[in-house]
Amino acid sequence: MGEKFRILVVDDELPVCKSIASALVGDEYAVDSALSGEEALELQEKKHYDAIIADLMMPGISGLELLKKVRENRPDTMMIMITGYPSIRTAVEAIRIGAFDYLPKPFTPNDLRSIVSRALTRKRVVEQKLEQARVLEDLPVPEGLYTIPNNSWAKVEDDGTVLVGIHHMLLVTIKKIATIEYPKLNETRYQGEACVRIVESEERMHKLWTPVTGKIMAINERVKDDYAKLYRDPYITGWLVQIAPTNLDNDIKNLALT
Amino acid sequence: MLTPRFPIRAKLIASFSVVIIVGVFISTMIGINLIGSTIIKQAQEKVRLDLNSAREVYLGESEIIRTKVRLTAERFFIKEAVAINDTERLRRELRAIREEEGLDILTLTDNQGRIMVRAHNPEVYGDRPIDHVIDHVLTSGESVVATVIVSEDELAKIGDDYLKRARITLIPTPKSRPLNITEERQGMFIKAGAPVFDYAGKLIGVLYGGNMLNRNYGIVDKVKNTVYLGEMYKDRDIGTATIFLDDARISTNVLNIDGERAIGTRVSEEVYEQVVVDGEPWVGRAFVVNAWYMTAYEPIRNIDGKIIGMLYVGMLEAPYIDLRNKVVVTFWGIAIISVLLLSVIAYYTTSNIVRPVKALARATEKVAHGDMSQRVDINTHDEIGFLGESFNQMTVALQEATDGYQSLTRTLEQKVAEKTKELQAAQDFLIQSEKMASLGKLAAGVAHEINNPLTSILINSHLILEKFKGDATLKDNLKLIIDETTRCSSIVNGLLEFARQTPPEKTVVDINRIIESTLIIMETQALVHKVRIKKDLAGDLPQIQIDVNKIKQVFTNLILNALDAMSDGGTLTILSRLSSGGDCVEVKFHDTGKGIPKDNISKIFDPFFSTKGTKGTGLGLSISYGIIQQHNGKIDVQSEVGKGTTITVCLPLFEFKKDKKEENSG
Repeated sequence: MGEKFRILVVDDELPVCKSIASALVGDEYAVDSALSGEEALELQEKKHYDAIIADLMMPGISGLELLKKVRENRPDTMMIMITGYPSIRTAVEAIRIGAFDYLPKPFTPNDLRSIVSRALTRKRVVEQKLEQARVLEDLPVPEGLYTIPNNSWAKVEDDGTVLVGIHHMLLVTIKKIATIEYPKLNETRYQGEACVRIVESEERMHKLWTPVTGKIMAINERVKDDYAKLYRDPYITGWLVQIAPTNLDNDIKNLALT
Repeated sequence: MLTPRFPIRAKLIASFSVVIIVGVFISTMIGINLIGSTIIKQAQEKVRLDLNSAREVYLGESEIIRTKVRLTAERFFIKEAVAINDTERLRRELRAIREEEGLDILTLTDNQGRIMVRAHNPEVYGDRPIDHVIDHVLTSGESVVATVIVSEDELAKIGDDYLKRARITLIPTPKSRPLNITEERQGMFIKAGAPVFDYAGKLIGVLYGGNMLNRNYGIVDKVKNTVYLGEMYKDRDIGTATIFLDDARISTNVLNIDGERAIGTRVSEEVYEQVVVDGEPWVGRAFVVNAWYMTAYEPIRNIDGKIIGMLYVGMLEAPYIDLRNKVVVTFWGIAIISVLLLSVIAYYTTSNIVRPVKALARATEKVAHGDMSQRVDINTHDEIGFLGESFNQMTVALQEATDGYQSLTRTLEQKVAEKTKELQAAQDFLIQSEKMASLGKLAAGVAHEINNPLTSILINSHLILEKFKGDATLKDNLKLIIDETTRCSSIVNGLLEFARQTPPEKTVVDINRIIESTLIIMETQALVHKVRIKKDLAGDLPQIQIDVNKIKQVFTNLILNALDAMSDGGTLTILSRLSSGGDCVEVKFHDTGKGIPKDNISKIFDPFFSTKGTKGTGLGLSISYGIIQQHNGKIDVQSEVGKGTTITVCLPLFEFKKDKKEENSG
């Protein structure tokens, strides 16, 4: 194996830092820890990290401030935000500022590894400008969509229902979709909850966050059998589930509009 | 009650009395005026006429004297005696005639006017008196009569007795003209003269005779007796007559204070000036000697026309004045009697007015002190009666109004009580809401704090599991740790979800269907608890808009709580119906369990309050409360220890209705 990916874990609680480090440590990753935003800034000045996993709520320099600074200094560093108080508003805010993704606590080592691997894939895609990726990256996001950036999108239909699909930037980081786990029909999904799981392998499954709260009305059968179609057009025809929203007006305030 | 300072009765009597007194006063004035202007005037007129009568008497007396003298002068014995100058016979004859005819003087002169015979004083003769009567007869040859003044010297020739009789002491009289002399010594005579002819018709002498008027009361008494018929008034003669010499009374029947004829008293200067000096008659009121008279005076002239005295008649004014006074007294008597009579009548009349008014005043005073039951009994069928009727109507109206106020006050109190209750409920609601808000913050904090250690536990137990190659039992233990940690995470997420209070998804449903579908799941549970479930669901309930899942959650919670409360079995009655106000659907859960102590009732909706120990989270009722609150509904608890608990859920029929209310109240 070549050079290890350098990862910095930032959390004001030492056990959390240690645990995350333990979950990642191995052949692939070289993990450093910082117990505060200030310490993290110092470290990333000295060392160039491929990815930083940072808690959003910290005393002193908060996760969001750290995110902003890192985006300025090291735009190529992937930022993964973790939070013990998951809120879609802060998550969307973080992603819009430039975070790669967010991960609500508690999470399993696999959840963590999946997101980190996706982040690094993404980094590599950007750096190496892979052919497939370029195609995808150049794909314009249609106007009038509400998004959780880099994760999911929502389109409000004329009949008041909402179509939900995968953001192409998430798709870029997934090499091959093994399976997609859909929610059951008529189940209610709350905004920010995992809606659809995209499984790459046993260890790698990616969560698509529900953009608007509502009842699952339908699943796109067309995509279900042929995931390749998803790569061709993740928007419009590539929608995954249809939701009957219950609090649309409030929910879309938390989302980004393209 | 106060006694009025000016009672109505006194006012009425006073005002009527004033009217009567004024009326009588005016009548009296008119009466006096009438008496003055008619009766007294008539009396004055009568006096004026009486003076004419008096003059007639006076002239009649004069004429008698003239006749006596003339007839005597024609007697033959005088012609013969004069012719032969038989003085003796003349004296004898004339003396006899004088006495027979009652003349004071009877004298014969020759044709030169020299005295031949004085019948009353034969010793004195041959003198030639200056006498206009003699002169008049000598020149005219005809008889004549006149009033003449005879001087003291002449009187002396007539005789000492005449001198004496003529002498009158003048009595000082108020208002009379000032005078130097104190005694009147002249005599006033009515004197008649007649010529004596011989048989050839040649004038041979003059016979004259007359009566002295001084102290001679024949004429004045004749006037009194013929004109006034001698009438008396209170011992006084009503009519009086007087002959004045100049201004002194020489013959009169006016009496002085002593009851004697007031000889020598004098007339007032005023009368004197008008009658004696100016020669005008006087008619009018005058104070004569010692009383007021209605009088008439006229001058007495001598043969030359010179005024030498006055003739007077007077009528006592007293009867007329008394008549006038009698009228006044009568009028005032009538007035006094009228006032007295009026007072008596007014007393009884005003009693009829005053008595009901007093009753009204008493009743009004009591009404003023709040006694609305006051009624007056006045049947006078007049204005006072109307007043009494109006008063009764007023008190009835007042009483009604007061009753109205009282009932209004009672209604108000009820409303206040209701509002207080509502306010209490609102306050409870607010407190509960605040609890929820605090819980939200708490949950957020807890989530953050708990999720960190959970993260560590979850990651590390997973890492151990990944590398575990030992005992299968230990591996199972490890998996249990992971599962329980995951469960912790989901509890925390549940707490967060509760704190986040996601808005309800409402659909229009029949509440009975929700109850039924909840019961299907709970029936097995009930069997385990040996609880019989009784349903009493109203058939015609309107559909309501609710979040089915959340309401199901609430019902499940309530049923589970009820089952727990009846650990030894019992009956759970579920009842649905329209609320009494008709604005919401009520669902009651009544159990026959152990009940909730009073102190705990207010806490059962508090988060983490539980009586189930480790079995419960203490969030069930709290979450239920939050859900009902999201539906703008109400949840109410009634419980009695040992008997059971009733929890009533009230879900509004129309949410928009409430929104509208809020708009209005805002």
